[in-house]
Amino acid sequence: MNTPVIKTVIILMMVIMVTLTPVASKLRGSAEANEQATYRLKWLFNASVVGDLYADAHQMFAARGLEVTIKEGGPERDAIRELEMGRAQFGVASADQVIRAMDKGATLWVIAQLFQINPLQWIYRPVKFRITRLEDLKGKKLGVTFGGNDETILRTLLARGGIAEDDVTLFSVRYDYTPFYKHRVNFWPVYRNTQAIILADKLHQEGEKVAFFNPTEFGVRFVANSVITSPRMIKDHPQIVKKFTEALMQGWTAAMDPANHQKALKALQRFDKDTPLRILDQQLRATRVLIQPTPDLQIGTIDVAAWKQTEKIMLDQKQISSPVFVEKVLRPFGSY
Amino acid sequence: MLFKCRDITFKYPGSRNYVFKNLSFEMVEPGFHALFGPSGVGKTSLAKILTGETMEFSGEIHMDGMKTLLYSYNLERLPGWSSVGKHLEKVTPPSQKGKKDELIEAFGLKELVGFRFSQLSLGQQNRINLIRYLLQDFHMLVMDESLANVDELTREKILLKMKDMFPDTFFLYISHNVIEVSKFCKEILVLRDAGKVPQVTKIEGQNCSIHRQIDKEKLELTMLEVMNASS
Amino acid sequence: MLLHRRIYQFFLIYLMGVAVLLLLKYSLNLSDYVIPGIIDIWQTGIEVFTRYVADVLNTLSVAVIGQIISLFLAFLVGITGRQATWFGSFIKVAAYNVQAYPIVAIAPIIFILLGDGIITRLLIAAMICYFPLLLSVLGILAEPIGEIEHFYKVTGRLRWQLEIKIRAFENLSKLTTVITGSATLAVAGTIVAEFIAANAGIGYSIRVALYQSNLSKILIALFLIGITLSVYQGLLEVSGYLVRKGWARI
Repeated sequence: MNTPVIKTVIILMMVIMVTLTPVASKLRGSAEANEQATYRLKWLFNASVVGDLYADAHQMFAARGLEVTIKEGGPERDAIRELEMGRAQFGVASADQVIRAMDKGATLWVIAQLFQINPLQWIYRPVKFRITRLEDLKGKKLGVTFGGNDETILRTLLARGGIAEDDVTLFSVRYDYTPFYKHRVNFWPVYRNTQAIILADKLHQEGEKVAFFNPTEFGVRFVANSVITSPRMIKDHPQIVKKFTEALMQGWTAAMDPANHQKALKALQRFDKDTPLRILDQQLRATRVLIQPTPDLQIGTIDVAAWKQTEKIMLDQKQISSPVFVEKVLRPFGSY
Repeated sequence: MLFKCRDITFKYPGSRNYVFKNLSFEMVEPGFHALFGPSGVGKTSLAKILTGETMEFSGEIHMDGMKTLLYSYNLERLPGWSSVGKHLEKVTPPSQKGKKDELIEAFGLKELVGFRFSQLSLGQQNRINLIRYLLQDFHMLVMDESLANVDELTREKILLKMKDMFPDTFFLYISHNVIEVSKFCKEILVLRDAGKVPQVTKIEGQNCSIHRQIDKEKLELTMLEVMNASS
Repeated sequence: MLLHRRIYQFFLIYLMGVAVLLLLKYSLNLSDYVIPGIIDIWQTGIEVFTRYVADVLNTLSVAVIGQIISLFLAFLVGITGRQATWFGSFIKVAAYNVQAYPIVAIAPIIFILLGDGIITRLLIAAMICYFPLLLSVLGILAEPIGEIEHFYKVTGRLRWQLEIKIRAFENLSKLTTVITGSATLAVAGTIVAEFIAANAGIGYSIRVALYQSNLSKILIALFLIGITLSVYQGLLEVSGYLVRKGWARI
């Protein structure tokens, strides 16, 4: 065989091996020896992640010898996938994401529950009607993100209220609020501590009052943002997990403390440059209520009953094929 | 009818060399006139000037009793969406229907009128193209290699037929074939390069027709004259 | 390309893509959540097949109608713009400049202004394939075919209808190619527009699947889009061939 050809083939193989080795280790890698970690959020930098940003801004991770990179989430991002692929060591996911992933065989651990009350609610105009019972939803036009967790919550509410789908009109929502502004839709799904503040502010400027339809008040508890990690992290680097969780909870506790309101706002403003300060202020106050509904509740507490209810709702709505027993992946702080 | 041009001067845009300089000639009688010369001397350019297809020249053109001058050339095509027969029908004035059939017969295309243009050979294509020009109303037709790719016998037949059918029409026949122009044309305008004086020389041709047989000796003399004039 | 060959090639590429995904899955030991297994894909396929077929046909019908509107407009503007008048030049310059603009980026604005009904999706589909079509049509209709037009010009018979007919006929192959190509644009653009802001069509279904992190559904949607597009393009090519055969007797 031709010597130059052999040489070329060997060089090519070496190049491929050299290139793929770090790629492969990166794909299945975990936190490196110098205790670096990537933390993938669920959504963009906004008030819902103020505690995460506070911890970062006040060097709480660094104080424990951790170099944590916080990455924004978004519609095309999935923290659970990134954990499995090794691209992140920690992430934020909602309960329905966790349960759906478990149904598909993914393995992960939930190490803290951030939102004690789900921020997903529906905004409406109380001047037209009031909702005191679920049956009051009959005949209304309800905005819903088909495929999203608000669809799951809404269908649960309708089932609980004995309302058939024909009794309401479901309207597919997009990123803009025009149909709600134009009174084409009665109820619009919003995150109570972020979008709702902006929307309410806009409507107030036009002299309109708003109210919020909160599923929790009607017994539907669907767990929202929670902190997750991989079993490999807990097995191989329990100290990193411990330090990370400690720092994170410290950040959230500090951010939710009214005494640190201005500091929290400052941390938020650094990352969310598009939202006006007075709106951020209101968003932060609203977030506080959802993260720590009562002052004595420890931030990050995992509400096992709410998780089980979330799984049951998803099972009833055939979102998962069989029970996953989500409680077995709930690992509160100190249990590892 | 009379066709006269005086002091025709022309050069291509952007070029420093003249193609024609103060070129003058006239054609006083209808019939077949040839425009003969070596390749690149400007025969096509002159033909386009005479028929008004090119206006970027200086000089004068006088047409007495002549209104419509047409220029035809060998690369023309008929549209391909229907048969050549159908296309001919569409461009034939009602008064010329009879002439059309006569020409088709004489040009040897009777069996081919149902074909589309792309299905014909080059020679057949050129003949069909020529027919449609002949069916129009014109005083002078310039034929720029219009019978290219047609065999000699058929060409002869066609030229004789045209001379018989159109005795009162001017034809300016552009060709490289010295025998052909000497034999069939009334006059041969021999064109030379712009640097040469005179640039155009008129030589009397043998003007062979159905009614007039060829004199071989005179034909040879004419051919010699044409060759001398073009050198 | 023959229709069956086109479909066969699509199957090959699709299956290769799935094979690569499965290779990644099993070599890196990824769960069904990250990359679904064959059984999961199959079961999801059975579950959503009928619905997704309807969605794809919905999207395709919007794309086809949008393309037809686009073609009609392109010819209208091309016929007007082919002349060497100031209006003709203006049309050409406008077409060249505007076609650089990402129409899909304007899609959300259109949805806000006109709502998310079929008109909006039609408009976006038409806009996406309009400018490439217009440029080709303009190029074709503005270029004289001297060897054919000459006779009609010198005999005073060259009306604009005949001129268009000559130029379109002579460039039939180019026209059918650009129409087939713009079909892909129209379908792709419609899907993207639906993904961004509509409430119907396969693009919308893909968005929903993405919310649910359901890669199986996305793979099924991609399969149906690919097969439908292959068949559609194949049919367009066949139609183009039949038109050329019937009109030009090639």
